[in-house]
Amino acid sequence: MVAITQRTSGRASARQVAVWDPLVRLIHWSLALTILLNGAFVDEESKAHEWIGYIALGLVGLRLVWALIGPKYARFSAFPPSPRRAVRHIKAMLAGDRSVHLSHNPLGALMAYNIWASVIAIGVTGYMMTTLTFFGVDWVEEVHEAIFNWLLLSIALHVAGIAFDTWRSGVNLFRAMVCGRKNVPEERNVI
Amino acid sequence: MRLKHLPAKTRERRATVLAGLILLQALCALFFIGDVIEDFRVDGHLDNPHLLLETIAAIALIAGVIFLMIELRGLLSRMSDMQTGLKVAHGHLVEVIQGFFEDWNLTKAERDVAIMILKGLDNETIAQIRNTASGTVRAQATRIYAKSATDGRAQFISLFVEELLAGEISSENGADPEPTNQQSAESGTKKTSNLITDETA
Repeated sequence: MVAITQRTSGRASARQVAVWDPLVRLIHWSLALTILLNGAFVDEESKAHEWIGYIALGLVGLRLVWALIGPKYARFSAFPPSPRRAVRHIKAMLAGDRSVHLSHNPLGALMAYNIWASVIAIGVTGYMMTTLTFFGVDWVEEVHEAIFNWLLLSIALHVAGIAFDTWRSGVNLFRAMVCGRKNVPEERNVI
Repeated sequence: MRLKHLPAKTRERRATVLAGLILLQALCALFFIGDVIEDFRVDGHLDNPHLLLETIAAIALIAGVIFLMIELRGLLSRMSDMQTGLKVAHGHLVEVIQGFFEDWNLTKAERDVAIMILKGLDNETIAQIRNTASGTVRAQATRIYAKSATDGRAQFISLFVEELLAGEISSENGADPEPTNQQSAESGTKKTSNLITDETA
């Protein structure tokens, strides 16, 4: 009977799971683009910097709404912000567990919340700088920049985490965020 | 197969377009909300007709975004339902084939050959793949037809097609797909044993 299952599962669709819907992917890459533009290319004093910042805020806001009413894997319930689960996940990884998480894994979930919160904080402090009350107030600007540096560090960790989990679970996570499907290896446990 | 794939592709494209529209419209909504807040800060009261109109536009845009999001979720869940449906059918067919082979007591080599016959390969190709003489394959095929009580390739394949068609009808009747699968798998094995006894009797 091995013959049958092997042959049929040779089809690409056998263990492909559609995880990231088009809206999640669009928001993800748009947000990455706004961070890249505002961090590296656009003049900080310019009007464009402000606009791009508001767009980033809007993207995070939209993602949060989608996490309330969206499909299964995009919802908060698929990746609750739980440090306890993250610790358990680390322990399981240390014990050699190689199971695949269909939505974010518990550590990745914490990173997602961290990045969204950072973008919101940067957006809010950025907006405060444009208001009369806080215009030219030093601490607002300092916080704005400090959180941006934190965001850069987070993104570096995020990319490292993607690389690590791609190696650990055997699922190409970068590809999953581009085409939406996770290609789960045959023998892996799925959570 | 090609016909099945086309609508799935179209649906996927539609979902992507819908997502793009949601994104754009959400940003437009954001622009209007920002404008309303900014105007309100400068002006201070809401009875200004311009501000009122802008507020209505912002609310309409937000409502539109929410509506499109619900629409997109519906489309996505229909797409994943279709996918599971296909998987159930696929898994079911493999089960049925395995059941048949077990009933007929096919040897390992014969099962291999039978699968390739089902996939539409001719004896020459099968011999090439299995690295045997085509005469061997012909003999194996003959044994498979004998064990399955069919008189040749066409009837052998039609056994499985018949099973698929029967499955379709029974799954329409049953509300829950899982038990129906098992039922029809059972009825399938019963049918073959009947077939065999009929032929031998």
